[in-house]
Amino acid sequence: MTAGVLPVWWDDAADGPTNMAADELLAEEADRRGGPVIRLYSWTEPTVSLGGFQRLVEAESCAAISGLPIVRRPSGGGAIIHGTDLTYAAAVPKSHPWGGTPQTLYDAMHAAMVAVLGDFGFDARLHVPSADDPPADALLCFSRRSPGDVVVRGAGRPARPTDPKVMGSAQRRLGTTVLQHGSLLLATCLGVGGEARQAGLRELAGPPADWTARSLADRWTARVAEAVKIVREVQPATFTGGHLPEVAARASRFRDPRWTGRR
Amino acid sequence: MAEMKFAKSHEWVRPEAGGLATVGISKYAVEALTDLVFMQLPPVGRKVKAGESLGEIESVKAVSDIYAPVSGEIVEVNTVLPNQLETLGADPYGAGWIVRIKPDDPAELAVLLDQTAYDALVKS
Repeated sequence: MTAGVLPVWWDDAADGPTNMAADELLAEEADRRGGPVIRLYSWTEPTVSLGGFQRLVEAESCAAISGLPIVRRPSGGGAIIHGTDLTYAAAVPKSHPWGGTPQTLYDAMHAAMVAVLGDFGFDARLHVPSADDPPADALLCFSRRSPGDVVVRGAGRPARPTDPKVMGSAQRRLGTTVLQHGSLLLATCLGVGGEARQAGLRELAGPPADWTARSLADRWTARVAEAVKIVREVQPATFTGGHLPEVAARASRFRDPRWTGRR
Repeated sequence: MAEMKFAKSHEWVRPEAGGLATVGISKYAVEALTDLVFMQLPPVGRKVKAGESLGEIESVKAVSDIYAPVSGEIVEVNTVLPNQLETLGADPYGAGWIVRIKPDDPAELAVLLDQTAYDALVKS
């Protein structure tokens, strides 16, 4: 039992199936350790991750993301275009104070990011639902608004209910653990069209700031650990590298067209 | 009516006349999931083991497995439920039932939580 520690892994870029397989194993790691764990990672090429039950045909018929590889997540929520984001997976045992209800872990991760963005000069807040919210079933995660999403006021503009969303998360609630996927949009993804070109932190910042994906994530994981009074431990090796045979075996399920096309 | 039992994963099970057991998810679980958007149910005839996933339910934020509280064969499925998800919140222990199982071993019910123990679990 190492529940007094928050292990954080920085993984190398990988393809969608490999990342999804590693995250499933991460949930088992949380169970084994009896406490929260976080994996931060990127993607070898721009990729669309589809929510657990989103319709594949809807993604395939969206011209804005045409041609991008698609992987289906085990978690819920809307489709995310990865490539200019910081992606994380966090897992906690259901017995942990953050494991009880979906909103609890969601708020814990997002409140920590709001604080960190504030440190770097962003006017960030947790979204409060309003009549101006877009449809909850929009294809793209960053076109949706849920209570507790991280939104940022654009530089030089008054705060509005429709301020851009820069971070969203979704969960897979397993038997004894919760796996939460999330994405912080660092910059507009230029390889997509129309509705998929959403403003990220780079476009929303005012004066030039001294943040990087790494500095944001370092402060964020430190704040997450502080929130439950445990010690963050950045791991010297990658999570995927330490579980190569298991990740490779599980990745085959996420490459299987029957999984991707399950709905 | 026989006593309802609960799994720690928030499914309820109620023995019925004829040896069948009706299964659903608790009011606490439905409320914790918030807005439900999709549900996938198993086919009739599928055999499940206690603790094995028999279906999935998606809310705005989360996909959750529905676990079989007892082992057995699924003999009936509430097929109207995926199109009337609001029923799960309005009547979780009645019209919101999910499947009926023919249990392999009725003794498995004995290890599940009674109402008092389940209430204590969700308050802890």
